[in-house]
Amino acid sequence: MRYWLAFVLLPLLMAFEEPLEDPSAEARAQRLMQEIRCVACENEPISQSSAEIAGTMRVRVREMVSDGASDADVRAWFESRYGEFVLFRPSTRGMSGLILWALPFTILLLGSVGIVLMRLSGEGSESVEPVEPESFDHDNGTTL
Amino acid sequence: MIEAGHLAGFLALAASVVQTWYGLRGNRPMAARMAVSALCIMGISFFFLIMAFVASDFSVSLVAQNSHTLKPLIYKVAGTWGNHEGSMALWCLVVIGFSVAGALRLDTGRPIFESRALGVQGAVASGSLAYLLFASNPYLRLNPAPLQGAGLNPLLQDPALAIHPPLLYLGYVGFSFVFALAAAGLIEGRIDRQWARATRGFVLAAWVPLTIGIALGAYWAYYELGWGGWWFWDPVENASLMPWLLGSALLHSIIVTEKRGSFAAWTALLAVLAFCFSLLGAFLVRSGVLTSVHAFAVDPLRGSLLLTGLLIYGSAALGLFAWRAPALKGGSDWVLVSREGALMVNNLVLAVATLTVLIGTLFPLLAEMTGRQMSVGAPYFNLTFSPLLGALLVSLPIVQSWSWGRMAVEWQWLFASIAGAVAGVIVLSLWLLFDLPLGAAVGIALGVWLLFGAGRELLRRAVTPRRLLRLPVRVWGMTFAHAGLGIFIIGAVVETGASYERTIALGQGDSAEVAGWTLTLEKVQSGEGANWYSDEGTLVATSGQKEAVLTPSKRFYPAARMPTTETAILKTLRGDLYAALGDRRVVDGRTLWTFRVYFNPFIDLVFFGVALMALGGGMAMVPRKQPKLQAQAEQKDIASADVPEIIV
Repeated sequence: MRYWLAFVLLPLLMAFEEPLEDPSAEARAQRLMQEIRCVACENEPISQSSAEIAGTMRVRVREMVSDGASDADVRAWFESRYGEFVLFRPSTRGMSGLILWALPFTILLLGSVGIVLMRLSGEGSESVEPVEPESFDHDNGTTL
Repeated sequence: MIEAGHLAGFLALAASVVQTWYGLRGNRPMAARMAVSALCIMGISFFFLIMAFVASDFSVSLVAQNSHTLKPLIYKVAGTWGNHEGSMALWCLVVIGFSVAGALRLDTGRPIFESRALGVQGAVASGSLAYLLFASNPYLRLNPAPLQGAGLNPLLQDPALAIHPPLLYLGYVGFSFVFALAAAGLIEGRIDRQWARATRGFVLAAWVPLTIGIALGAYWAYYELGWGGWWFWDPVENASLMPWLLGSALLHSIIVTEKRGSFAAWTALLAVLAFCFSLLGAFLVRSGVLTSVHAFAVDPLRGSLLLTGLLIYGSAALGLFAWRAPALKGGSDWVLVSREGALMVNNLVLAVATLTVLIGTLFPLLAEMTGRQMSVGAPYFNLTFSPLLGALLVSLPIVQSWSWGRMAVEWQWLFASIAGAVAGVIVLSLWLLFDLPLGAAVGIALGVWLLFGAGRELLRRAVTPRRLLRLPVRVWGMTFAHAGLGIFIIGAVVETGASYERTIALGQGDSAEVAGWTLTLEKVQSGEGANWYSDEGTLVATSGQKEAVLTPSKRFYPAARMPTTETAILKTLRGDLYAALGDRRVVDGRTLWTFRVYFNPFIDLVFFGVALMALGGGMAMVPRKQPKLQAQAEQKDIASADVPEIIV
């Protein structure tokens, strides 16, 4: 419950977080804040943390965005500073990164191939007759 | 009195063990009697537990740790399941409840099958009760008793959260009975149309409360946590989403088994897995192996016991499956381009989506073993899970009218290309004209497409509009569920893509502009409730002629020494203006209050859409009315196994 402790003890000194003048830059900064993890909290992005450090990190994101840094620059800066842990958008680097991002699509591909093979190797399908799904039976008002 | 509850717990355990014995040996009447006895006994036990909370009997350790005399009555009662031990007692009660529901509702004319299902459910109940009594006992006394209790986590003192756990448990535990029915069917080697017909209602009985429970949790997060969001891809949320996704897959595959007798093994596997994922969810939430914003009762020992339980029940069922699945009979023949094929793709994608959530949730743990500290959050799921499901849903309006067995698709290509062209125009115009993010524009087009598809399928089945009201309730249920999904998607993408957030600092009389509203701070005053103090801000919001007052506040609960935010939400046609009170600061001798203000467009569509899905699920449970003679003929027809002809 460190999160709440930080909430109670929040010092009054923190710099005010003024939004950026340019609305599109501010929107970009807010999107970035949603994918950078607060280092003092339990699984929360800095956009929603009341911890002091999260405030400092938000100020830094806005600074970098207004200085013209790209999204990748901002992520790289935070990663170099706090480690990979800080990115809610895991990188594709390395074995783990590759596995993480490729696995869902690989499973989908294997599954699709499996279904197609299973069906193609199956029985002579020419004889299958189409059967209408649950259409309304006009005679007795029921469907099956 | 709590000792009576404790004793009743042991008696319920005994009854459940006997139920397992009689059930597996095929004595249905005795198994049913044992289930009813266990329910009465466990009901009494749970009642004593609630009474200890209501009476604030702090000599009961659990009450002392989780209650407080000043708490309002509803939260004293809800506090019974607002903690680990109490919620496990509720879990046991619901497991036994489903035994009784099964004993009363199952009417397949196959007493041995029904009896075995009750037996397996009895085994689940025995395991749950043993875990309750030996590893998380809520009935223990405390000596000396404290004068006052520690109070319930104030975040949980909320009407939505009072009913959220029971609903989630109805869902999780509901899948235990589906699991029991699958195990019984596998033992017999018969997962057929009749099995599917008997089981489908129980799948819905689990899926509907799980849907509502998840939505309530999301709604609670939205207004109580004060961060404007409703879904955070947090491990605890993912833990409930995985059984829901598998349950949704099961709902679709069991239709194929019901109508055509196909997919028998796959349906049985899903039925087993849905409950395994429910147990996995309980393990992830309770063990604390994953860090989460809302982990409320964490204990590594209990976690490992839950994992052991998952392994025992899971491997027994999967072993049974591996042994018996080859013996299951296939149903009517089909080719890839058919209703069966479409539903198989639906199941493949839902299964992959479930695995994606699982991978994303567990990956930080796995990476840590290789010495890498990674976080997996919303961006990952938005780039994997969402496109997967999106692609599936694009096809829904096209394939939902396909025939069983084989579909002649010629004209469908024309239909699909016209729909694609219209959708493209919608996406481009939303993107270029309204400056929405591309993802949100695509999502809106998808939602509209689903709504159109739901309406089109309804009309197609009615043949003429005059017959709409005579359609079976079940068809309306499907329509509502699919339409609800479309509405949910529109709300979700608009809210995510176009919500606006701003933190403002105001002194008394100051104003600030947010999303077209001018907010003026009138005053901040202190208040007091039954068990809290608060600071409450009064913001006057004006926009043109419109004027409204927002009163966001911050509460402090002395018993728990914890603050909570109470947000103020102004509902407008376009969305919610949402304000949360932040901290007080003194700048140059002036007191300033910070407010986090959000504008969340169309957020209500998210919750309305999910509510519609749950309503649709509920309607799909309504049994079809049929003339008595026909019902009997049909019963006979189905009971004679291996029906060769297809009933349309």
